[in-house]
Amino acid sequence: MPKHIILDSDPGIDDSLAILLALASPELALKGVSTIHGNASTAQVTTNALSILELANASHIPVYKGCDLPLVKDSLLGPETHGDTGLGYAKLPEPKTKFQGQHGSDFIIEEIMSNPKEVTLVAIGPLTNVALAIRKEPRIVENVKEVFIMGGAIQHTGNTTALAEFNTYVDPHAAHVVFHSGMPMILTPLDVTYQCIFTKDDLDRLLKIDSPITKFIADATRFYMEFHDEYQKIDGCVINDPMTMALLLMPEICDYQDLVVDVDITPGVGLGNTFADFYNYQKKKPNIKVAMGVRPRMFMELFLERMEKLAKTIS
Amino acid sequence: MTSKIIIDTDPGVDDALTFLLALASPEIQLEALTSVHGNIGIENTTRNALSVLELAQASHIPVARGCEVPLVSPLYKSDKNVHGKKGVGNANLPEPKSKVINQHAIDFLIEKVNAQPNQISIFPIGPLTNIALAIRKDPEFVKNVKELVIMGGSIKQGGNATPLAEFNIFADAHAAHVVFHTGIPIKLIPLDVTQQCLLTAKDIENIHQINSPIARFIKDATDVYLDFYRKHGIDGCALHDPLTLATIIAPELLIFENYYVGVDFSGGISNGHTFADLMNVSKKPANMQVAMNVRGRDFIDLFIERMKDLCQNISS
Repeated sequence: MPKHIILDSDPGIDDSLAILLALASPELALKGVSTIHGNASTAQVTTNALSILELANASHIPVYKGCDLPLVKDSLLGPETHGDTGLGYAKLPEPKTKFQGQHGSDFIIEEIMSNPKEVTLVAIGPLTNVALAIRKEPRIVENVKEVFIMGGAIQHTGNTTALAEFNTYVDPHAAHVVFHSGMPMILTPLDVTYQCIFTKDDLDRLLKIDSPITKFIADATRFYMEFHDEYQKIDGCVINDPMTMALLLMPEICDYQDLVVDVDITPGVGLGNTFADFYNYQKKKPNIKVAMGVRPRMFMELFLERMEKLAKTIS
Repeated sequence: MTSKIIIDTDPGVDDALTFLLALASPEIQLEALTSVHGNIGIENTTRNALSVLELAQASHIPVARGCEVPLVSPLYKSDKNVHGKKGVGNANLPEPKSKVINQHAIDFLIEKVNAQPNQISIFPIGPLTNIALAIRKDPEFVKNVKELVIMGGSIKQGGNATPLAEFNIFADAHAAHVVFHTGIPIKLIPLDVTQQCLLTAKDIENIHQINSPIARFIKDATDVYLDFYRKHGIDGCALHDPLTLATIIAPELLIFENYYVGVDFSGGISNGHTFADLMNVSKKPANMQVAMNVRGRDFIDLFIERMKDLCQNISS
């Protein structure tokens, strides 16, 4: 039985790669995508989600538009990282399919409540939709099987402020709600994603296959690599989101610690900072299983193999 | 022209009196109640909403259940006994026969408001969680709400939850921040004016002369509330929430100022504090009209008159 998953996402270059990885994996049954502001506006990322699903011949998977704005803060988008359209230099045709009438947060609620303890939620953007769903229907907390989250930086520095990772910085209040909800959570912070660099060599390997999939990956990641080079002196690009998705397929890619994790929501320099109470000074029960160690090539091999397989079926 | 309103509420003694005043006022068409956590937990506030409507023979008015915890912060429980064990003082209302509608308050608010653009005013008289989430869920809602008339905050008065913060705002400061800065036309009814509207024990006796379940309810419900005020040396209890309705039934009693009002949600000592930029040092345009003066006794007299009318209609 494939794992029943739903994805909450702001595609986004690495989000797109996470969607492709899910589609390339027979172990996963992706039942729907809810969209969220973040890497680009909600209108734009919703179009992107539809376009990517079409690109991979998966337009039967429904897309649900979610929140336009963070729970409390003002909006912050990431055009310098993902380009104005959110997909770097990739130019996908306007999607023929449309998003569903149901709100993203209501899709999350309905999917979880109608399949108790069966649904794995994968949340790889700001957590606004998930927080809204929790506040509207608190029972999803007991009924979701598990939640995989890409976000935060525990011992790593931030990538948006010195202390904060992008997803948690964009909506720290939503992260606060989710982190303290009591749901079973697995967090993939920058501590592990920043060790997994998708390089030019990796891209060249994929480009040996002539497919719209590999062309898309090349066009999207070229922009992403330029960003990583210019801003972070990294040769290649960090593909955070597929790394999170990979843990559903191959948990042994990472080593985990059960930690008491919190996020700073006071409006100071630490806003959005995610931190763990390693010595458990607060005597609280761990709330999140955090990926703190990683085998980067194990992930990258899995990712490349799956992308090759997908590319071969779509040419 | 009657005004169509939805009251978003956490009954609560003065909340209950607000429904009664709305029902007693021909200027108002009460479309619905939406419940929220606040004076007491959501189970109690929702049940109280249904029960008070039944008491006033108005159970045709729908009640939608809303959020049980604030937007971000943990649930705030006051250690003061203001509203009694179940939220309506010493009143013993029977379990309601009617039920809540099968739709979450957020969705009900969105649907109702969007179906009649610029027709419906919302009167939030509890913490602003439902309103903030409706705003975040549907940007159209923001454009279609006619007006928000909010009981909350304290501009120059000092707080009643902390030295600086008023209860409704303190109970969900993040939600208040969202609502204040969203662009919906707002009238704010802060403690500065509500504390000047005191219903005294004598006033309650005056209403109680009429043999009506409404009069008995008012007396029983306000018992604990009056005690609370008496302990603070005040003869009478403030009609915080009912005063919002003065914006429709007696606007001449209120004097409004246009202010830029913000709310502190930093989590520090002034968390939940509402402040007005009285000297416009921030150069930000006003985001609401704030009631800063009221003819308090005139409002109380009007309230008593309306309650007596309602008691005459519903007598036993």
